[in-house]
Amino acid sequence: MTISLLAYLLIPLFSAVLIQFTSRYKKNLADIIANITLFAGFLNISHLIFNTAKTAKFSLPPMAQDTFTLLMIFMIYMVALAVSSFSSGFLTEEKNRHHFHSLILVSVSAMCGIVTAGDFFTLYIFVEALAITSLALIAFDKSKKGLKGAIKYFFLNFSGSLFILLAMAILLFTIGTFSFAGIQHLTDPAYGGHWPFQVVAAIILLLSGFLIKSGIFPFHIQTVAAKQGAYSPVSAFMAGTVTKIAGVYAVIKIAIIFNFFDLKLHEISETLMLIGAISILFGAAFAMRQKDFKKMLAYSSISQTGYIILAAGLATPLALLGAIFHIFNHASFKTILFLNEAGLKKNLNTSDMEKMGGLARSMPWTSWSFVIAFMSAAGLPPLSGFWSKFIIIIALWQGGAKGYAMMAIGASVLTLIHFIILQRKVFFGKISAIAKNAQEMPLPMLAPIIVLCIVILVSGILFPYFYACLIETGIKAIL
Amino acid sequence: MTYHLALFILIIILALAAVMAKNMLFSALILSLVSVGVSLILFTFASPWAAVFELSVCAGLITALFISVINLMPKEKKLLNESRLKFTLLPVVLLIMAVISWIYIVPFFEYLSKHPHLSIHNYPLGQIIWKDRVFDLIGQICIFAAGVFAIKSLFARSINEQKSHKSQVTGHKF
Repeated sequence: MTISLLAYLLIPLFSAVLIQFTSRYKKNLADIIANITLFAGFLNISHLIFNTAKTAKFSLPPMAQDTFTLLMIFMIYMVALAVSSFSSGFLTEEKNRHHFHSLILVSVSAMCGIVTAGDFFTLYIFVEALAITSLALIAFDKSKKGLKGAIKYFFLNFSGSLFILLAMAILLFTIGTFSFAGIQHLTDPAYGGHWPFQVVAAIILLLSGFLIKSGIFPFHIQTVAAKQGAYSPVSAFMAGTVTKIAGVYAVIKIAIIFNFFDLKLHEISETLMLIGAISILFGAAFAMRQKDFKKMLAYSSISQTGYIILAAGLATPLALLGAIFHIFNHASFKTILFLNEAGLKKNLNTSDMEKMGGLARSMPWTSWSFVIAFMSAAGLPPLSGFWSKFIIIIALWQGGAKGYAMMAIGASVLTLIHFIILQRKVFFGKISAIAKNAQEMPLPMLAPIIVLCIVILVSGILFPYFYACLIETGIKAIL
Repeated sequence: MTYHLALFILIIILALAAVMAKNMLFSALILSLVSVGVSLILFTFASPWAAVFELSVCAGLITALFISVINLMPKEKKLLNESRLKFTLLPVVLLIMAVISWIYIVPFFEYLSKHPHLSIHNYPLGQIIWKDRVFDLIGQICIFAAGVFAIKSLFARSINEQKSHKSQVTGHKF
């Protein structure tokens, strides 16, 4: 049996429409359709990722089909399934649940479009589709904070789009194409020479646009406000996949396509590394100062994204491999952390860490899943986060960026410290007044968190096997 | 040349009418005609790619979104109450912009025309839509679905209110 990647894009889109017609009066049907669609897609891509030969030969002209794409589709489905099944328990009283699931499914469709796009124009179209669904998801709870977050997200995100549009126009005028394969052909050593000034300007504009969309320092205002204001499962979805696919994925793709590794664009590459390094430190430092659980996680997300941008700037094959793995690992541990926060908020009706305490006794599963996720975020062995950070640090050291490598290790220690402080404040110590009546999350909400913990543990312990398998199936071919 | 000139003048008149109109629905429809005019110009300038997207996104998708949002608004808000007189200044602003463009934009386009661009291939429209850019069409369907669901979720409350109002009037349960 051969499977076309187009199915991962079209089936959720079809299900999103189906939900609107079938679930108007029976809201549970929306949960069922969304979860079945995502679960089927997740199972399918889990099988396909290790059997790339089974990918269909049928695809549309500007479509990419490589292991990087498959890994990203796997990640998108994994996070979307976790968020969707968690929301089935979280949004029990929400009347417009069917709209929520439709928006999640269209987002999945748009993200699959982004990772399968074969040129910047197609990528841009799907990025805009994702921006619209994200905007609606952030403002979904109709709270003042949510609407404020959505407005900030709108203004920064669409200014990023303007940069991308301008860059595409310049590329079309100067080199006559914006297809990835066409540009890669031009970067071929045989073609030689340095890029003309206009192309360099286009690359800067493209990177600026996608960095704005990734919500990294100094464009973090939109992501922090959006994640803080939105429903907590939406924050998990945003932090886990949306900002990574709409922004960070494209930055890595640009580093690969324009071949930052050959040092012809070393000024851009060094600036990108600097932005990544500042983001790591800025995110980690600001996360330590927060009293609001969600805000702390949002800043921590900036720090983790910094690692990916730092590696993308270095752009050696090993660094890019580390960046790709870190996107995946970040998606798994950050989704757990945000979903845990969602469970706590539903239970305690607050996300103020000062008011929490001693929750480990009443919510042991939540507490221990949090420990696994933060240990992975801090890069402790043998969890999956350790391997991606380890690869990035080794790549930085090998690439001569020893200062950045030391800084990355230092920031990891900072991450560990601020998560230990959080764990002590929230889950251990004296039982606070509001924590006395707290209860463990129900199974539909807990199940996706436990599954993601298993993913972190298994992909960490068996990492050498997965690494060899993914290298064999062709991840090297794209670097 | 006469055809182009007529088209340009028509577009400017339609654009002004869209700004001056008090009825929002009328304004949205006129704006879609502006997009149709722009896409006709793009076609005649041998830029079918841009023309196709102008026609489908601006004249099609954006108009559909505008109309659905206007449809969700209460009747009294569909008409703009403030005076539109201040917009009579627009032709003067347009004239100034035209003079500035003549001085700066024309040399810029002459500079750009030295670079290679895709319009030189001049593929037939059918090939562009159904062979080369079919994946983009799926992207546009995605944008359309995203827009419709975003409006439905953001305005869910007013839709429910409209339904309950209708049920009160007709005595039917929705």
